[in-house]
Amino acid sequence: MSKIEEIASAVERGKAKLVPGLVEEALAEGNDPVEILNKGMIDAMSAVGEKFQKNEIFVPEMLVAARAMKKGVEALKPHLGSAEDISIGKAVVGTVAGDLHDIGKNLVCLMLESAGFEVQDLGVDVPKERFAEAAADPAVKIVGVSALLTTTMPAMRDTVALLNEMPNRADFKVMVGGAPITAEFAAEIGADAYTTDAASCASVAKSFVVG
Amino acid sequence: MERIPFRKEELEIKAPPFVKGRLGVPILNTPITPRENFLAFLGGEEPLWMPFFTDTLSITPAVVPDNISRGFVFDASDFDPNRSAGGPDMFGVEWEWVPSVGGSMVRPGSPKVPDITEWESYITFPDIDSWNWAGSAEINRKLIDQKEFLLGTTILNGLFERLISFCDMDEALIAMIDEDEQEAVHRLFSRLADLYPRLIRKFKDYFGIEIVTFHDDWGSQRAPLLSLDTVEEMIVPYLKRIVDSTHEMGIYFELHSCGKNEMLVPAMIDAGVDLWNGQPMNDKEMLAKKYGDRIIIGADPPAMAPDTPKEEIERNCREFIETFNPYRSYGGRVRGLPGARELLYEYSRAAKCGRA
Repeated sequence: MSKIEEIASAVERGKAKLVPGLVEEALAEGNDPVEILNKGMIDAMSAVGEKFQKNEIFVPEMLVAARAMKKGVEALKPHLGSAEDISIGKAVVGTVAGDLHDIGKNLVCLMLESAGFEVQDLGVDVPKERFAEAAADPAVKIVGVSALLTTTMPAMRDTVALLNEMPNRADFKVMVGGAPITAEFAAEIGADAYTTDAASCASVAKSFVVG
Repeated sequence: MERIPFRKEELEIKAPPFVKGRLGVPILNTPITPRENFLAFLGGEEPLWMPFFTDTLSITPAVVPDNISRGFVFDASDFDPNRSAGGPDMFGVEWEWVPSVGGSMVRPGSPKVPDITEWESYITFPDIDSWNWAGSAEINRKLIDQKEFLLGTTILNGLFERLISFCDMDEALIAMIDEDEQEAVHRLFSRLADLYPRLIRKFKDYFGIEIVTFHDDWGSQRAPLLSLDTVEEMIVPYLKRIVDSTHEMGIYFELHSCGKNEMLVPAMIDAGVDLWNGQPMNDKEMLAKKYGDRIIIGADPPAMAPDTPKEEIERNCREFIETFNPYRSYGGRVRGLPGARELLYEYSRAAKCGRA
């Protein structure tokens, strides 16, 4: 097994303590830092996302894998040339006003990060104006809006409506998700995409940005 | 038990509800009481009709701080959640009442236990002996003394939910599988497995409950949050201790666990849980067929809008009873439909005992 494969395996198994050492070893062997990032970590997290979608692993396994990747990226950062090497764009994510649920939103943040996005987590109970303020940043490519309650779906509608009025709307995609949300509702309120889980959210977001 | 055929007179109202609101349903002219029917069912006999949620009377009194913090006080008092819900639970964790949802949450971001491996430094277990149990029982005397419905209570915040309330969802989930944190979780669950039976004992001594509903959500809309292996390793040993103690008191144990948790039913069985009524996204018929000899699977009649035509309501209720009558199942809440309770009772009575 190559060192990069070892990193990928450790990330998939969530071995946060092992990954930084393996990254150092891979670098010492002369591996390209960008390849370590792409093949050892981002691809590993894609595999984790696929297993999650198939119910082969569950939320804790995904969380520890993301944590392991984070440790690996920290070890790798000084060796990467520029921010562009590690980021494919900026994403802002939050749970709408009146809704305190955070686990789905947190998973989306982790999977977007793992897919190569720079993520700004707006938190929970986020007013629509705060989403708009964050989306005004020209670097933003994805705005993720989460709602876990039928009673906060109107807040999602209002948030997306405000985002849709922004002058830079063509620069970012609006993605929505959460237990009561459907593709029909997403289309009705003018969002660009709805996904059922965090892994597919990351995959669709990536396709928006890198094609 | 004598198989008394159904007679239309059984649908006549024998007495008005004991209390207003959620706890109250009119008392029908049933040949035996709903309590007797439910107890026979739980004891392994074929009941005269499929027992329903409305055949129980679950008191969740204000004497338990969790019931106030979560806005879940259902007793003979005039508790108004919009005025009084929220605040500290029995461990001092602050809950926030969300009126639009009708429930409470801990606002994430500043957990009471920032490091689960050191939870003993942040958590003081409640002194439940100091609570005014006798006073609470006195307020609820009429409900306690009734013999019409199966008397129970709900224990909010089970093992996993309690962990989440202490350290937020992400950290709780990680702690369930991270080998550096699992030992601390074992210590916590072990202490909780000592506490909950003592709490249930108070309900036995002061309220005379016959069933306890233990609230511990393990799933999300699409799948369990935890794997079966994790639940077996981290939760089942402690849940089993609580269930065994409950059974020793002569009390039945119902698990309330939201989410698509079909995959976790074997863990419920291993823990000795008597009944589980999961959310409708679970395939109840499959579960009843597969596991019905080891755990009683609850099933919910289809949700119907208040303007549903009468014929459709009748058809839905009939189909529900036809589907679940062959299994050892019980029925959940009848949502928003006056009259459906009576229809389900009638069809179930007829299916089990015929018509006079």
